This record gives sequence, structure tokens and C-alpha cells, in this order.
Amino acid sequence: MTEAAVRLAGVTKSFGSHTAVSDFDLEIPRGAILGLLGPNGSGKTTSIRMMMAILVPDRGTVELFGGFPDFARRSRVGYLPEERGVYEKMKVLEQLVFLGEIRGMDRKIVRKRAMEWLERLDLGEWAAKKVQTLSKGMQQKVQFIGTVLHKPDLLILDEPFSGLDPINQEVLESIVLEQREQGATILFSTHLMEQAERLCERVCLISKSRKVLDGNLKAIKRRERSNVVAVEFEGDDRWLTRLGVTEIERVGYAHHLTLNPRVDSDRILAAAVAEGVSLRRFELLEPTLREIFVRHAGDPAPEPALKAAGGAR
Amino acid sequence: MNTAWKQVWAVLRREYVERVKTKGFVISTIAIPVLMLGMIGLSAFMAVRAEQSQRQLALVDFTGEVGEEVARRMGAAGYDLEIVDSGIGLEELDRRVLEEEIEAYIVLDELTLQEGAFAYRSRESPGRIRGALMESIVVETVLELRLSLTENTEGVRELLGGSHLSFERLGEEVSEVEEVSGIVTGVAGALILYMSMLLYGQFVLRSVLDEKRNRVVEVVISALTPGRLMLGKILGVGSMGMTQLGIWAACAALIGLVGVPMLAANLPEADLSQIVEVLPGVGALVLLLVYFILGFFLYSSLFAAVGAMCNTEEEAQQANFPVMMLIIIPFMLQIFSLEGSAFAWMDWAAVFPFFSPIMMFPRAVSGSVEWWMVGLSLFFMVIAVGATAWVAGRIYRVGILMQGKRPTLRELVRWVREA
Repeated sequence: MTEAAVRLAGVTKSFGSHTAVSDFDLEIPRGAILGLLGPNGSGKTTSIRMMMAILVPDRGTVELFGGFPDFARRSRVGYLPEERGVYEKMKVLEQLVFLGEIRGMDRKIVRKRAMEWLERLDLGEWAAKKVQTLSKGMQQKVQFIGTVLHKPDLLILDEPFSGLDPINQEVLESIVLEQREQGATILFSTHLMEQAERLCERVCLISKSRKVLDGNLKAIKRRERSNVVAVEFEGDDRWLTRLGVTEIERVGYAHHLTLNPRVDSDRILAAAVAEGVSLRRFELLEPTLREIFVRHAGDPAPEPALKAAGGAR
Repeated sequence: MNTAWKQVWAVLRREYVERVKTKGFVISTIAIPVLMLGMIGLSAFMAVRAEQSQRQLALVDFTGEVGEEVARRMGAAGYDLEIVDSGIGLEELDRRVLEEEIEAYIVLDELTLQEGAFAYRSRESPGRIRGALMESIVVETVLELRLSLTENTEGVRELLGGSHLSFERLGEEVSEVEEVSGIVTGVAGALILYMSMLLYGQFVLRSVLDEKRNRVVEVVISALTPGRLMLGKILGVGSMGMTQLGIWAACAALIGLVGVPMLAANLPEADLSQIVEVLPGVGALVLLLVYFILGFFLYSSLFAAVGAMCNTEEEAQQANFPVMMLIIIPFMLQIFSLEGSAFAWMDWAAVFPFFSPIMMFPRAVSGSVEWWMVGLSLFFMVIAVGATAWVAGRIYRVGILMQGKRPTLRELVRWVREA
């Protein structure tokens, strides 16, 4: 059982003249937690829909658990689509029972388990209410329960945290991490870099339908380190100019020194001690995910308004 | 129960329970029989009221010869008519009409004896039926009077009695009551099939469309095959329909078993025994059920396919049209053939599977086609149900996950071939 939980190889998908995903390779090992990152319209949802066999790739292969994503394999997945699809007229508990039942679970067991989840997510008293009476955020939590109810081996979550308040985001984050501890593989997409940074062990950045980079987050950061040192001290700052750094930038109380590649950070520390300034902070800065992304794909902030193109992304 | 049937059962139950629980279902189940009974009651009530509100007619006879006979015959035809003295004056009679004491008065005079012409004075026209009836009464009376004054009229008098068409059946003898029962059952059955196929078919379509539009289907389809989802859905809506029809049938049976004897007890003069004889037999009901089930599978799988290939309500309404025509056309043809002047090709049209439920059921129960033709239609329907489910299932499978514009006919063919 060493095959990857998800494997995409050379996957391409176009809608008319618009290429949504282009030559996408990705491998998610079992037990990993991977964040699929990119601005809106970059091809995240299309990739995910291909993993769930909702869309068929024009080229390339998609595999779940080492084979074609057929029903047997897909039933091991908990899938949360980007569009929040629920049976609005159904009662909350009934809906969850139905979702469990079609996955072959026993009615009684699924009812009990669903109720436990509802209690845990503070929705206990809503169990007998119709879904449409719930707020969007609550509906999202109900739907989330639907994806973990059958204890899937793989969670594929498309923007699972968007639209939630910080407290609920945190609750769901902790559940996602807990699922991972229990052995599930997790893939989730987000356009929030900070969140991915907090949760993920692996990331995959995509922009304009192409993969920019992927791999272990720590390794990426090490590789992408920009040789910037942040120093905070009290006293005269003239000693900084004698160090031969390429750039000095004042950020709040700190100075960010961009080092010449030949200069070792230890020399800066030594110089500070020699100068006799009282040092408050000395830190080798790692680039944030956002900075790495910008470096590779340009600023993701101005999000293209592709939402109007409907689900065809 | 293995997983496949468990899943189908889960879908079926959801579809059934969610529908039966709705206010719409409860209201329509109760309201329709109440409404129908109400309409029957109302029309009977109106008829009685119309009869009672009918005011008197008067007749003035200036001939002194035919007045009494005309009045007698009109009385026999059901008119409340009184002869008034010719000395009373027409102004007085006009006043009575205008003040609504009487509805109208008839004036017979010399011209009546010569040409059969007479006046009908009223605020309102007598209407075509009343007019024709009165004309024939007056003309017959005058003719008889004039014939009685002539010699050699033998045989003419009999002719005046009117001609009579006597119908002689060729071929197998069917009792009249049985024949009426067959026709009534057939018409009622065709109407029930027509309405339920349209209504419940729409439910299937709406259910598929809703699931597709709010994307629930993407989650559901990750757990079970589209075929099982479609089957469960059709069975669920079908069970709901059978429940509703069953409730109505039970109501009807209750009225038949309790209401008719009660009515008979209260109205001893009315002969109600014939009503019981007109009621359909068990065989006809079983046949109706068979046509309902086969027809429902046939049409609803098409409706499911239509729902799957559309994205919006408006699109669905357009795409709906061809399937609805498959239900409406046979109903129209059935109405044409009610007259009894059916063309022979209509019997063959009734063998066409999509026309069978609505056209063959009435033919079968009224005995106007051979039994082997009924069997043939059932055989074709079973084949058609299988073939339609196969095609519709493939369209459904591709369609429910397809967003964007509605497919063209050519794309549909590709879906069916490649799915």
C-alpha cells in the first residue's frame, strides 16, 4: 500500500478556448496534508473535479489510491465541493443520515454518529430543523460533517474554510488536523496563503492553469530563503553600513538586512556584539508563502473576476 | 440486501418521505377529491336551482282550435304553461312579462293555422333548443288538425309520429350496461393516466434539475452510480404517485360502498342499481395499474433525462415539450376516437409504446380491440421501457455533471454513444 492517495500526470483540461488546467502533475502521498493554492480562476476547482471524476481530463491521467477514480475508490473519499450543495428542504439530521446511507452505512449507526458530530459543532439543537433555516456558515458545517461522516481515507475539500467566522474556521481546522492524525490523507484548496502556511505540510501552488511549484513546505522555504536578516537593537545604527550588505530596510523597530550571498549571517551577529549595541532580536527571515508565490507567479492579490464564467473552471 | 439495493432504497425513501411530508402533497391529496365532489355537487345544485327559478309561460289562443292541444303537448314536454283568456289583452301580458310575473307568452293566431308561424314574446330569446321544440310542437299540432279535415290521410298520421332509428349490432353481443361500464372505465382510466403521467413526470424532472442545480448531485454521485440514483428517484416519485392514487381510489371505494347504498335508502324512487353495475371490475383495475407502472417508467426516465440536460427552469420548460407531446398526442387522439367513429389506424397507433397507456387501456376495457393487440402493446411497452431507460440513463449520467449550455441533439447522441 505505498501507492499515492492522489496522482495526476500531465492532466490538461480546456473549456472551449479557455485552458483551465494545463499539463498538471501532482502526487499526494498517503497521510499527507496538502494545500492547493492559487488565486480564483487558477484551476484549483477544475483539478479537484477531475479527481472526483466529475470532469474528464482532455489529456493525462487521474488516479485515486493507485487506480481510476471509480465508485469503489470514490466512496473512500470525503468530498466537499466548492458550491455548497445541500438538500435545502430536508432536516439537518435526515440529510446527514441520507449521505451516510448512500455510502452503505447502517441507518442507526450513521444517525448516532451524525448526532455526535452535530453536538460537537454546536449544531445539536438544529438537528430537526430544515437545512434552509440555517445560516450559510452553519450549512457549511453540516456539509462538512457529511464529508467526514463515513470516515474517509481521503478528504478532498474545495475552499472548506471560506465564508466562516474565525472561530468556526479554527474548529474546522482542528477537525481536519485530527482526521489527519487518524490516518486520512487531506487535500484542500484555498486562496488564503496564511492558512495554508499554518496547516499544510505540503503545498502546491498553481497560477493561470499551470503548476508553479509543489513539495514540502519547509523544504520550499529553505530553498527559497532570501538571505534577509532582521535585527532589532538599541543604539547607534551606523555600524550597519560597514557590513557590506546589499540593502537595508527599516521595518518598524527592526532593520531588514539583505545579505550578499558571500556574507554569512554569523558575521552580522559578531559585528553587533563587537559594536556593543544591546540586541533585542536577531532572526534569519524565511519568506512567507505569499512572497514565494509572488516571486514565482506575480502578485496573486488582484483576483481576476472569472467567477462570472460559472462553474466552468 | 446488498449495497446497490441499499443505496437505491435510501434514495427511494428520501424521495418518497420528503415528498409525502410536504404541504403540497397533503393539500393536493385532500383537495382534488373534495374539489371534484364539490364540482359535481355544485353542478347538480345549479341544475336544480335553474329548474326552480324557471317562471311560468302563458299562451293566448286567437284560433280557438289548437290552443289546448299545444298547451297539453308543451306541458308533456315539461313546460309550466297556462292558457290565458284571449280577452285579457296583449298589453296586460306584456306588463306581466316586463314585471317578471311570467317569463314569456306565446301567441297563436290565423297565421299559425296557415303557416305554422307564432309569436314568442319575452325579454330573452327562447334559445335554440326550446325554440326548436316549440316549433315542432306547434307545427305537428297544426298539421294534425289540418289532416283531420281532409280525406284519405291513412298512413300519413303514422309518419307524423316521427321516424325512429333502431340500431342493430353486427358481431358479438355485449350487454348495454357492460358496454357503458367499459366506456366509462376507459375514459376515466385514460384521464387518470394522462394527468398522473404529466404530473408525476414533472416531479421527476424537477427533482433531477434541483439536485443538479444546487450541486448536491456531485456529492451524491461520489457515493453511488447515476443509474442507482435515477432508479431510486423514479421509484420514489412513483411510490408517492401510487400512494396518492391509492388514497383517491380508497375514497372512491368508500363512497361506492357506503355512499351509494345510503343514497339508495334515502331516494327509493331512484334506480341506483345500474350505478353499481357500471363500476369497473378487478381485471380493469389491474390492467390500469400495469399501464400506470409501465407508462410511468417510460415517461419519467425521459423526464429524468430532460432534467439532467438542463440547467435552468426555463431551459427545462422548453426541453420538456417533446416529452410532454408524447403524452398529450395520444390523449388528443383518444378524445377523437371517443365519438366511436375511430379510424382503424388509431387502434394500431395504440400499439405504439408511448401511446399505449392512454390509448390502449380504454380500448382494452371497452372491448373494441382484440386481446392479442393489448398483449402486443404490453410486450412493446416492456421493450420500450428497457430501451428508454438505457438511453435516458446514459444521457442522465453525463448530463447531471455537465454545466453550461444545453446540449444540441448531436451532442446528445454522442453522450448516448460514449457514456
